[in-house]
Amino acid sequence: MAADNPGSHPLTRRALVAGAAAGTLAFGAEPASAQRCPAVPPARTKGPLVWLEMDQQDIDEAYDNDVYAFNAKSINDRRVYNNQIVRDILDKPQRVAYGPSEIEKLDIYKTRRANAPVLVFIHGGSWRGGRADQFTVYSEPYVKAGANFVVLDFNNVGETNGDITPMVEQCRRAVAWVYRNAASFGANPNELYLISRSSGSHLSSCVLITEWEKQGLPRDIVKGAVLGSGMYDLKPVRLSKRSGFVKFTDAMEQELSAMRHIDRINAPLVVAHGTLETPEFQRQARDFAKALEAAGKPVKLVVARGYNHYEVGETIGHPYAVLGRAAFEMMKLDRA
Amino acid sequence: MTKHSSDRLSRRALVAGAAGTVALAAEPASAQRCPAVPPSRAKGPLVWLDMDQHELDESYDQSVYAFNQQHITDRRSERNEVVLKLLGKPDRVAYGAAEIEKVDIYKTRRANAPVMIYVHGGAWRNGRSAQNAYLAEPFVKAGAHFINVEFNNVGETDGDIGVMVEQCRRAVAWVYRNAASFGGDPNALYLSGHSSGGHLAGCVVITEWEKQGLPRDLLKGALLGSGMYDLKPARLSARSRYVKFTDAMEEALSAQRHLDRIHTPLVLVHGTLETPDFQRQTRDFDSALRAAGKPVTLIVAKGHNHFELGESLGNPYGVMGRAAFEMMKLTTVV
Repeated sequence: MAADNPGSHPLTRRALVAGAAAGTLAFGAEPASAQRCPAVPPARTKGPLVWLEMDQQDIDEAYDNDVYAFNAKSINDRRVYNNQIVRDILDKPQRVAYGPSEIEKLDIYKTRRANAPVLVFIHGGSWRGGRADQFTVYSEPYVKAGANFVVLDFNNVGETNGDITPMVEQCRRAVAWVYRNAASFGANPNELYLISRSSGSHLSSCVLITEWEKQGLPRDIVKGAVLGSGMYDLKPVRLSKRSGFVKFTDAMEQELSAMRHIDRINAPLVVAHGTLETPEFQRQARDFAKALEAAGKPVKLVVARGYNHYEVGETIGHPYAVLGRAAFEMMKLDRA
Repeated sequence: MTKHSSDRLSRRALVAGAAGTVALAAEPASAQRCPAVPPSRAKGPLVWLDMDQHELDESYDQSVYAFNQQHITDRRSERNEVVLKLLGKPDRVAYGAAEIEKVDIYKTRRANAPVMIYVHGGAWRNGRSAQNAYLAEPFVKAGAHFINVEFNNVGETDGDIGVMVEQCRRAVAWVYRNAASFGGDPNALYLSGHSSGGHLAGCVVITEWEKQGLPRDLLKGALLGSGMYDLKPARLSARSRYVKFTDAMEEALSAQRHLDRIHTPLVLVHGTLETPDFQRQTRDFDSALRAAGKPVTLIVAKGHNHFELGESLGNPYGVMGRAAFEMMKLTTVV
């Protein structure tokens, strides 16, 4: 469930070798065996339906991405590996406060181009994991292509007593800060874009329904957003075991379901999901795109064939694949 | 080396077979569920290092160690379609007499530009140049020509890899001689290959070019991903069922046994999730090159399996793409 730091797969072949009797059992070698043998889950008797055609176990699994992506740990390893490579290459980001609390800071990766567009990234992690410095890896293509890249830090839901609302408010304040202070770091406030994945795309969608005019800002401060693998209606999430760590209320569900406030969206959106994501994560993206279209809002649905939840997210750092390609097109950046 | 057959047994298929009382959620996403430890079994006699026949066979069967092979193929197909629309069809030019002996040239706009030649993998028995169109885009956009070499698969050469190596060699020589005809700089010629293409590219690197009146350092650099550089263990594995290995083939086409003929700086890459012997092949080739005083860089890519590593050549910010861009001094900066 912890999207950013998924549970490891502790039962390696190596561990078994250690536990087995003296060398008579054959166990090849490397932890590569963690990628062996995808399996069909055992048959079981279905319980009462709790959401669409799902019983409790179905919906719990549909909101647990690790169940549908058993290479979650490998992908996380590779992000850590690539993150370090990029941290060694790029200058340290400028870390600036957008609010009074310690966590309310953002990391600015500056491009050399003057008055350049700015892409704000909101990380995922099931609302309960993730820190800005883990995502340097995504910044490099944008910085090199002439855009500023800003990674937001904000609280995890474990630090907000189970309330997602303060996290949404933090993201909103951070985006407003970027708009108001863009010039201070060489960015063009009139070319402000959002990109995100997983629970970060839920938060992004809530940023997109912000009534900016109530704080004297233009309604269209965000010029476009790429939302990968997100949740846009909280009802099924609330019915899932995620309610074990998010204290959902009727008000929270209503306020923070972007799907229910489509009239407040003033930016063109790209909504993406992978074909290997959980049934619910696929449906959430599909239904949101449909609702936007029905409301006459500009939206493009990207269905990424052969990508699971985490692999979709990885493409933020890839100018030629799913989310990265969409962002480059949205911002009209030239590649490489 | 076959596609993962269990992917086909989807939960949906099970639903169809059951009477509706069994709960089976939905999408083919379930194909990615549940990593498994292989069942324990009695180990047989050792045939290679610490491996018995079963282990060695698995070590030369990528699908055993990369459950998502088919998914990666799926996303490559989709990207090929996108890229062909963006770049247009490549120029397809003959480098030899046979129908298959062609190169696909994806041209960049820059004049006198460097050239990257790619040799595809597929366990020597699969793969066509068009399946790797997607790799061209980053290079073309960054000011380099990209060339996919078409050559026979081993099923078409009566089990002989030697023919395929000769095709790749002739293709590279053709590119050197004809670079100017498509705006390429013959003095900035680079090679890359993945998997069995890493093996073939390794054999291209040991070509004695001087015997055909070409400069020994015709290749300015080579990037070899997940390859094989000594054929002995491959010969001992199940791959000998479709490759007709001989002593002469094993000797002539094991690059590791001809280090003195290498006049090209090499970058070798493997993923930490590859099979044990594929990891070892790269590691040992690197050690041997180092011991012989040849310029080599080893990259061990954490969290990448065999196919994920190959895919990364199409991303300037991924492992192999980054290495290629550095080797060719291509810049991603606007």
